[in-house]
Amino acid sequence: MTQNGTVVRLSGVRKTFGAHTAVDDFDLAIEPGTIYGLLGPNGSGKTTTIRMMMGILLPDGGSVELFGGAPDFARRSRVGYLPEERGVYEKMKVLDQLVFFGEIRGVARPLARTRAEEWLERLGLSEWASKKVQALSKGMQQKVQFISTVLHDPELLILDEPFSGLDPINQDVLEEIVLEERERGKTILFSTHLMEQAERLCERVCLISRARKVLDDDLKELKRRERTGVVAVEFEGEAPPVATWPGVSEVEEAGDELHLTLRDGVPTDELLAQVAAEGASLRRFELLEPRLHEIFVRHAGEPAEDDAPSRTGGVS
Amino acid sequence: MKQVWSVIRREYVERVKTRAFILSTLGMPLLIIGIMAVVGFVAVLSEQSERQIALIDLNGQLGERVQQALDRAGYDVELAAPGTGTEDLDQQVLDEELEAYIVLDDTTASEAVFAYRSKEPPGGVRSQLMRAAIVEEVVDLRLGQLEDGESVRRLFQGGSLEYEPVGLDEEEAEEAEAERITGVITGIAGGIILYIMMLAYGAQTLQSVLEEKQSRVVELVISSLRPWQLMLGKIVGVGAVGLTQVAIWIGCVALLASLALPTLIAAASDFEELAQFRQYLPGPGAVLLLVVFFLLGYFLYSSLFAAVGAMCRNLQEAGQTQAPLIFLIIIPFMLQMMTFQGNNMQWMNWVALFPFFSPIMMYPRAVMGDVPAWMVAVSIVLMALTVWGSSWVAGRIYKVGILSQGNRPSPRELLRWIREA
Repeated sequence: MTQNGTVVRLSGVRKTFGAHTAVDDFDLAIEPGTIYGLLGPNGSGKTTTIRMMMGILLPDGGSVELFGGAPDFARRSRVGYLPEERGVYEKMKVLDQLVFFGEIRGVARPLARTRAEEWLERLGLSEWASKKVQALSKGMQQKVQFISTVLHDPELLILDEPFSGLDPINQDVLEEIVLEERERGKTILFSTHLMEQAERLCERVCLISRARKVLDDDLKELKRRERTGVVAVEFEGEAPPVATWPGVSEVEEAGDELHLTLRDGVPTDELLAQVAAEGASLRRFELLEPRLHEIFVRHAGEPAEDDAPSRTGGVS
Repeated sequence: MKQVWSVIRREYVERVKTRAFILSTLGMPLLIIGIMAVVGFVAVLSEQSERQIALIDLNGQLGERVQQALDRAGYDVELAAPGTGTEDLDQQVLDEELEAYIVLDDTTASEAVFAYRSKEPPGGVRSQLMRAAIVEEVVDLRLGQLEDGESVRRLFQGGSLEYEPVGLDEEEAEEAEAERITGVITGIAGGIILYIMMLAYGAQTLQSVLEEKQSRVVELVISSLRPWQLMLGKIVGVGAVGLTQVAIWIGCVALLASLALPTLIAAASDFEELAQFRQYLPGPGAVLLLVVFFLLGYFLYSSLFAAVGAMCRNLQEAGQTQAPLIFLIIIPFMLQMMTFQGNNMQWMNWVALFPFFSPIMMYPRAVMGDVPAWMVAVSIVLMALTVWGSSWVAGRIYKVGILSQGNRPSPRELLRWIREA
């Protein structure tokens, strides 16, 4: 499947609920074939942004474009949307439910059935196909919900907090599927407040804090730019007196490792030469990249809480 | 449209499969048959007494006649030998040799008042049958003493109005009469069916909307469907379930009538008249009109019920919020019940034009021929316009409501929803 042009474009988007501004002056452009992470703490406006992309909410200002046009039903049908507030028909059988979702997304009944069976097989849920959904664990229900969003083979996947509530094994399974879908040429946008996940998967990230965009960049680029000049070293045997070295401004012990902060403008080569001069032997030498979490904290000025209470109230 | 069809199918299949549907569908006729059987059985049982009933004739005119009359009514009564005193019979009752005895005296011969002496009061059936038998004998006795006894007897039977249609021969007149009776039966049955359908299945629509909203599944659905498509699919799906239930009930009645009725007629000639029931079956016109009123009435109410479901967060809230709708359904039903009891006032025909009352009040009037055809037509047009308007309003409330997890909207907020949706 080839995609031309920007898949999602938000320009100057604003959304308020009464006195509360959920999203303010928001720009975003998602190019085809990328995995895009929408990051931010709970309540920062991620879900509202996504709902506007899906045409579920209308922006109070600015414009939203999906596949180069208004998010009408024809365009929305090319998206696989997994909402944050996702439910299931508890009393329906798993397979029946998936076939129903396939159908309302325009897949013919027999095809929807075949695809649903394939997906259930793949996610290890085959034996549950004719069980009622309420008999499934929360994690399994979430996999069923995920299947229902990809059954119509959409070009763009919009996943709102897809990993929350999944155990580590199933998180891995889902990550794998996301990567595979990208291989198949799909564009993926997902929101998360889990920075680790984003770090592993995303090619590009957008950080939101308090309704505003604070960062929007290629992840590698971002990390390179945010590099702080800290080198992790570990020596065989006795460590040389690193604190006295001219290029080093600060030393921090981290287990067996030492984290050395270099003075501005000092290249890592100089440090290596110093090590050689001391006659010490290195086990490890690595220019540390900042973790996304740190970058986020630095820019948003608040930690990306992992377990903050979820949003409440309003058409949010 | 294909998607609406999917919603309809899901709604229908999932509902028809539930135990609640199967139980309520089969349970209703079984319950009615069961109650009738128990009532009949108890009545019969209480009349089958092993002990004797005696009859003592202190007047000397009535004894044998009454004995025969009671025999015809199904009571095997022993006439006490002349000279037996009431003390003896009282003793026999106390000794439980007799269950009861009836005393015929001078007052009985003149006013048909008689004593029934027993330790237990007689049951309702027994009182009625015995009284009727004895009154008839006394009337016969008294009339027999008059010259024109026979005509007085007919007078007692109540006289009658004999309709003599002008310009119709006898056969045509009979047909007209059958048509009138058909109208009454169809009107009553139709009114009740419409009432049940709007109330029960309107509430089901509400529940279905609320379930989707509460379980948050609605957001998964709404990303591929327009809200009105989902609402329409739901209403049609739930309505189809209701129609299925009514069809099954009608089928049961038809089955019962075609199988049980001939047996009944064979067993007791009193039921022969029932064999004519076929001529009272409603014609296609009345059925078509019922379908029209059902479609309009059900759609009117269930769209509003759907809107109520979308406004609320849980069943308790919905229970309060739907109260005005429930009243709108119950009030015309009460008024219609008054009409069925013969209190049809002219102004009620105008009340029946109120679109929210029309299904229950106008349909029976239409098939009974109580209102002119133009009124029925006006009412259908008014209802169609109301359905158009109310579904527009309901659709807008629904659209905002299903994704709102906040408080139930105040009337002002509701207006804003409707304006801005």
